[in-house]
Amino acid sequence: MTNGTNSATEVLENLKLELRRGCLIVAVLAQLRTEQYGYTLRKALADDGLAIDEGTLYPLLRRLETQGLLVSQWREEDKRNKRFYRLSATGEQILEQLLAEWQSINASLSKILQEA
Amino acid sequence: MSITTSRTSEELVERYLQAVRFWLPKSERQNDLIAELGEDLRSQIEDKEAELGRSLDQEEVAAILKRCGAPMVVGSRLGPSRSLIGPALYPTYQFVLKMVLFWILVPVFIFIVGPVNLANAAGNWGAAILNTIGSLWSGLFIAAGILTLVFAIVERTQVHVGACQWDPFKLPPVQKPQRKTSFSQTFCELVFNVFGLVWLLLVPEHLWMLLGPAAAFLKPAPLWHAVYVPIVLLAIVNILRPAVILGRPQWTWFPLTTQLVQSGFTLVLLNFMINAASQPVSGGWYPFLTLADSVKNSPHFIRIAAVVNVSLLISLAGTWLGVCIGGVVQTWQLLRLIRKQISVGRQAASLPVR
Repeated sequence: MTNGTNSATEVLENLKLELRRGCLIVAVLAQLRTEQYGYTLRKALADDGLAIDEGTLYPLLRRLETQGLLVSQWREEDKRNKRFYRLSATGEQILEQLLAEWQSINASLSKILQEA
Repeated sequence: MSITTSRTSEELVERYLQAVRFWLPKSERQNDLIAELGEDLRSQIEDKEAELGRSLDQEEVAAILKRCGAPMVVGSRLGPSRSLIGPALYPTYQFVLKMVLFWILVPVFIFIVGPVNLANAAGNWGAAILNTIGSLWSGLFIAAGILTLVFAIVERTQVHVGACQWDPFKLPPVQKPQRKTSFSQTFCELVFNVFGLVWLLLVPEHLWMLLGPAAAFLKPAPLWHAVYVPIVLLAIVNILRPAVILGRPQWTWFPLTTQLVQSGFTLVLLNFMINAASQPVSGGWYPFLTLADSVKNSPHFIRIAAVVNVSLLISLAGTWLGVCIGGVVQTWQLLRLIRKQISVGRQAASLPVR
């Protein structure tokens, strides 16, 4: 019984993780329509209910930058060097398309749930 | 006090960053990631200090670092995520590993290394078996290690040979539930069986083709004179069968029926040989291979001949068992085919005539 419960919890956690993964990318891209550095971005996401740890955010930012969706710049602020990120022109286009896709999925899902 | 606290906090952060850096691959990216993580941690400390209106003590800084995660875990998350063998290569790796370990290495040890070790064991068969098992065990590990290393190198160098080059039209055809003999398989069978027959016809004059270097001191026992012609006949049937299948592919009943008849004939032959070998004999027991006159009194060669004869008897018994199982399966498949054809015939008969 306990094993079954553990397994169900594990499955739920994995599914939640999968569900979150795609959403996080959209959220990060959307937040970076205005320039921010890592910590403020994390804080902003957490304040909006999407907490993300350092080990997840920074590799994600690198990946999005490598894909050309973000641009970054090291700059001094408050006597400390910080890396600022913002959406690139390609990133803006992709974000628009992603949001349209997300809205379409959301609409489909709402329809399916209503039918059920 | 505040400066000292801040220093110790900073030292703790630096120590943490150094520990995380250890788990990251050395590159420009490593410095970048560490600098960014450091900035994040310092911002967290600063925020907390602003919230509390005082400097954080070491415990509070340690709590922030703990929440961030163990250096090794954080390092592994920040670093490039790369598996030893990725999902694209893994199925190929698994297939090659199985082939090499279970279809090449194990049979080589069972049929070649094992009998050679037994023949050279000088009576100490237990040690020879243990030695073979030990060698097989280490051989399996070494082969698996080398294969894993090769695939890991391929994964790292991203040389995915043919991974992305594929053509839907070159995919194998859908396997139909009804037995259908493939042309290439039947053709290969025919070619191999022709080679087999040629080899069989050459063996009596060139014993080394069967025994290798052992032909210098071993010769076939009289039993072979009795079974040689039936074996040659069986080999000829083995050639005719695929030839007919190629010529008359519409005879769906033919492959299974002839296979069953062949299995029956092989069983009779094997029974005869096993029975002949089991007959009590006076003098030495050499049912399949006897010693050449020049060495027939040498204890060393007598031992080798005994081991080879026992190995052959065991092989024949194993083959007998395999053919029996094969015969049962073939009978069942044939019955299923007959039943299916009867049912198709009935359906065709019940269709309205236009």
